[in-house]
Amino acid sequence: MKTILESIALTKIFKTGKIEVTAVRDVSLKVPEGEFIAIMGPSGCGKSTLLHLLGGLATPTSGRVLVDGEEISSGKDAVRTDIRRRKIGFVFQRFNLLPTLSAQGNLEIAQEIHRNGSRDRQHVDEILNLLGLEKKTHHKPSELSGGEQQRLAIARAVINRPAILLADEPTGNLDTRNSMVVLKMIQELNRALSQTILMITHNPEAAGIANRLIEMRDGRIVSQQQEGEWNAAEDRMSL
Amino acid sequence: MSSQLILSNVVSRPMRSLATALAVGVEVALILLLVGLSTGMIRENSKRMSGVGADIVLQPPNSSLVLAASTGAMSVKIADLVSGIEGVKAVAPVYLQLNTSGGLGLVWGIDQESFNGITQGFVYREGRGFQGPDDVIVDDIYADARELRLGEEITLMNRSFRIAGIVEHGKGSRLFIPLGTMQRLVGTPGQATMMMIKCHDKSDIPGVKAELEGRLKSYPIFDMSSFAAHLEEANRDFGPIKFFTRTVVFIATLIGFFIIFLSMYTAITERTHEIGILKSLGAPQGYISLLFLKEALVLGGLGFVLGLGLTFGGRFFFQLLMPTLQHQLPPEWLLYTGILALFSASLGALYPALRAARQDPIEALAYE
Repeated sequence: MKTILESIALTKIFKTGKIEVTAVRDVSLKVPEGEFIAIMGPSGCGKSTLLHLLGGLATPTSGRVLVDGEEISSGKDAVRTDIRRRKIGFVFQRFNLLPTLSAQGNLEIAQEIHRNGSRDRQHVDEILNLLGLEKKTHHKPSELSGGEQQRLAIARAVINRPAILLADEPTGNLDTRNSMVVLKMIQELNRALSQTILMITHNPEAAGIANRLIEMRDGRIVSQQQEGEWNAAEDRMSL
Repeated sequence: MSSQLILSNVVSRPMRSLATALAVGVEVALILLLVGLSTGMIRENSKRMSGVGADIVLQPPNSSLVLAASTGAMSVKIADLVSGIEGVKAVAPVYLQLNTSGGLGLVWGIDQESFNGITQGFVYREGRGFQGPDDVIVDDIYADARELRLGEEITLMNRSFRIAGIVEHGKGSRLFIPLGTMQRLVGTPGQATMMMIKCHDKSDIPGVKAELEGRLKSYPIFDMSSFAAHLEEANRDFGPIKFFTRTVVFIATLIGFFIIFLSMYTAITERTHEIGILKSLGAPQGYISLLFLKEALVLGGLGFVLGLGLTFGGRFFFQLLMPTLQHQLPPEWLLYTGILALFSASLGALYPALRAARQDPIEALAYE
């Protein structure tokens, strides 16, 4: 199967004065097309830094990241931005929606950036319908519930059909009910649309819907288990 | 959609947008009011000069077309020489002097009889001509602006004058005193700063002008149609006025620049998180810079519209306070100020916009 995302000996060291902190150590990872990976680990283990490196939001100290065959780990901001624009969709814990735009506007601006100016109103409407937000088209993010905001953030992330969806604690700000709705949606994207997903989570139940679980500690990958292998299998949510 | 984002950002921060646009508006109004007032005064002067009815104007050697600044004088006896030329119907010596008492303006010293020969006489609203050496004739605009009545006393050139007549405006000056009085006040008896010449027929003008040019070689001689245009041009290009106008335009543009700079700089700090979101969506640096530049242009455009409102409001206010002040807006200055407003806005937004584009996406996303 085609590899959508690959990291090779990825290392990120943060320097604060004379102090060096290694957030990610020698991480090598391959994500095949259509796979759903969950990354778990304690706070400060380097999960989010890894996600930022994989998504081209940060540059590694050493190592490489290839997205759909293109190197995103180069130092040039323009190159990283371009790959991010064409191939990556982000979902954040804080939703990160543009507060002054409507739900529709938030989707359209993602389209505009992706397509260098053009928009597809019909596709926006399809996505909003798919995510049950058709009645909230003209609502601003502040007028939506947390769950609706995160659904909108997911819609925005996938509206341009990215090669990979990177989700950083997508249920971290949601209550149990909304978490379930959002997780179901993410799972559906993976199953129905074969969307490749890499999700960071603290929540073992959330991780349970993935095909592969990666565990990180101290910036390293300490274990990788395929679906059905890990102990929490019995705790999987019946979504 | 980026235009919707720009507009929504302008609308969602109404006070900041209004204050910024207002500051640009003040820049625009300052320029337009100043230019309008100077143009209005210059044009109105030329119009009044044309309204005298003279066909030819003769000035002494080394005189200036900026009449208020002209110091040259010539003997009134030249009038006798001029009146002997074939085709000349009337000659009126006039002495122009700048008055600073009770407002700034030119006072004309005239010999009423010869002046009437040029103008066909004043049209009196009240009173009549000079009765004595301390009489003054004022025009209706001057009288109305100061609520002056016939017989009242006014101070000109540090001397008291009695209003002997109130006349319709449009014939040279707003204030006329006897030529002899003016000559005594200025200390130049028998002198004049200008000769107004009336020909029997328009067809006589070129011949009379050529004859004068032959006899009075160093004297500037103009036919009235070109004199008014020369006056306008000379006053517009008069060094101090030009320098003052340019200085005000520069300072106003600088104000606009700094206001937009501060506003956009603040906006970028305030919207750091938003910039992070756009970066995470893959917005290139150019897209983000352009977003802020366009927003500044919208504010500049709004400021220009507000500035036009302030200009017309200011003009109305000025005319209410000082009816003698004329405000005429040259249409090309509307274009210039529009360009200046947008130029200062885009220049002011340039650094903040570039700074926004260079933000680190992770730091921007983490910004609270």
